[in-house]
Order: sequence, then structure tokens, then C-alpha cells
Amino acid sequence: MNPSIVSFFRHVLSGLHTSHREKTVALTIVEMEELENIFALLLLGSFVGFPSPPTFLAVELLPFMEKELRVLNRRAGQANDMLAEMCGTLGID
Amino acid sequence: MAAAAAWQFSQKNRVLIVSLDPAHNLGDIFGITLKNKKKQFTENLFLEEVNIQKLSRDYLQREINVFSDTYKYLQALNLDNYFSVLKYSPGIEEYALLTSIEETIRNEKDFDYIIFDTPPTGLTLRFLALPRITITWIDQLTRIRKQILKKRYTIYRIRGTLSKEETVLDYDEEDDNVMKKLRRLSENYNALNKTLQGKDCSVVVVFNSDVLSLKESERLIEGLHDLNLPVRLFINNKITEENSELAAETEKSISRIAKDIPFERVSLSKTLLDGGHGSLYNIPEIIITQLQER
Repeated sequence: MNPSIVSFFRHVLSGLHTSHREKTVALTIVEMEELENIFALLLLGSFVGFPSPPTFLAVELLPFMEKELRVLNRRAGQANDMLAEMCGTLGID
Repeated sequence: MAAAAAWQFSQKNRVLIVSLDPAHNLGDIFGITLKNKKKQFTENLFLEEVNIQKLSRDYLQREINVFSDTYKYLQALNLDNYFSVLKYSPGIEEYALLTSIEETIRNEKDFDYIIFDTPPTGLTLRFLALPRITITWIDQLTRIRKQILKKRYTIYRIRGTLSKEETVLDYDEEDDNVMKKLRRLSENYNALNKTLQGKDCSVVVVFNSDVLSLKESERLIEGLHDLNLPVRLFINNKITEENSELAAETEKSISRIAKDIPFERVSLSKTLLDGGHGSLYNIPEIIITQLQER
């Protein structure tokens, strides 16, 4: 068989494999990001009127919270259309 | 009273007295200037006034340094100085006070007694409650963090990395900086809480024989009870011939909510009324007997 055809099929199969793996973890990624969002929200809740932990606790953890703050920021932007995002993740048209 | 107790203890033991009250008067009582440094008064007695503002500043500076290290690239744009705004964070004073207690207990090992002269009821209860509140928060945050790391691990196992350049998020508790920090804080606060609630720690409540002081003391006792902090002695202060009857009634009221805790009575100091001529710390009543017998 022509080696370029073999490499083409290998490429297609590898793509399918990656796509399946991505699809499998999609919901877990949403769950993880929601947890990260909750973590950041609890820690910095005083800014939006939530009861918050002692200030110094937030200050101590803040230097390591870059990822969570990004998620918090993105979630705040998408907050008005969370249903659409959930439908997208669950594959509901 | 704290100064008098320190003086009496120091006759036979090595004693350190630390004033945590922002309105210090420890130096005035012993007639020396302390300037926020530990000073030796006699062979056995050491005095210290804690500067809360300096402690708060030092703590925040440490955190600002961590920020600056984490976001080092901002130095290239000269933007790292903006983290200094953190020094205006509210609620840091209580933390500074608590840190001061924790550090003193941890570092001052060669004393038989360490006496902390605390600020009035409100602030004292707030900072004494801090370890327990903090532990509750740390436990909850740790629980969520563990869930996050579990999800990250699942994602990593299923998905792996798509390319060599892709960053893998920390999924191991030993690698995650937030988890490491939470663990360290949890260890520190649990140790402090254990020390404060332990048999080597005693809380002495000083009150005056009047209605307002009684109400305040009752609230303080309830607060200390809620925090599981051990009250070992009550000192009924500034007793005169005129208020001795009221003093007995006050003691009776307090006994109802705090059973089996002894009282010591201290008369109104003549030295205090004379305008401070004489040693304010050397009072005729021995107030440490009950604490020594423990």
C-alpha cells in the first residue's frame, strides 16, 4: 500500500482518537472549572458581597491563584448564558 | 494586673510579659521605654510591647514579595510596585496579633511563664477566635481543592497531553502550590489552637466591680467558653470599702456562669491615686497562687 495513504489513515485515526478523548473529558473539564470558579469565589467573595474567609487567607493564597482567577473572569463573562454552555457540553442541540 | 502577675512570677521564675494592647502602658508601669523591643527589667523579668502596625506592615511586605516573585516579569515593565496597595488590606491587625502570639510561643522557649496582656474584650475575642474560624475555612477550601485535583488527575489520565508544549496542571497534592500553602496554614493554626486550649495555657479575666464591667465580663466568658479557651482565674480589681458589697454581688453573678473558677480580689492601688509615685507593678495582694498551684 502507498505509504502516504497509510500515513493519511494513521493521521485520521489519531484525530478520531483525540476527538473521542476530548469528548470524554469535556464534562469533567466543565466540572473542574466550576470547582475552580467556586474556590476563587469563596476566597474573594467579599468583593461581591459573600461572607469571605479572613482577609489574610485570601492574601496568602492569591499569588498561586492565576488559573482560578482566569476561570472566574471567564465565568463572570458567560454568566448570562450558562444554559447554552451546559447544552453545548452535554451535546444537546 | 498582668504587670503585677509578671512581677510576682519573676521572683522565682523566668518570665516574659508581652503587651498586645495597641494603647500600651507596660513601659509606663515599669518606668522604662520599650520601643517595640524585648527588654530585660530584672534578671528574671523581660518586657515587650508589640507594635501591631509594624507587624502588619512586615506581614504584608512578605506577601508582596511572594507576589513580586510569582509575577517577576512585571519588573520588566516596572509594574510590580502596584502590589504594594495590599498594605491597605482590612482585617490584618487581628492576624498580626495572632502571629505575634504564635511566634512568641514558638521562639521564646527559655521562659517558665509568658504573659500576654491583651487589648479590651472586642479585639481580644476577635483575634482569639481567628484560629478556629481560619481552620474551618481552610478545611472547606482543602476539601474543594482536593476535588479540583482529583478532576485534574482524571482529565490528565484520559486526555494526556496533546503536544509537548502543553502545560499539565498540577494534579498531585504534593505539587500544587495552593494545597501546599493550605496544608502549612492548617498545621500552624491547629498547633496554635492546641496550645491555646491546652493545659499549659490559662486565661485570666480581670474586671471591675461595676455593672458595665460585669456585663462585659459575662460576654467575654461566654465568648471564651464558645472558643474552648480555659479561664483559670478571675481578678476582681479596684476594690474599695465603698464597693466591697457590689464586688461580692459581681462575683456571685459571674460564679453562676463560670463555676469552680477561683476569684482574687485586688484593692484600688494607692500608688495609682498618688500620681504614680512608687512601683505600680508591686501590689500587696498575691494574685498568682491559683495559677501556680495548677
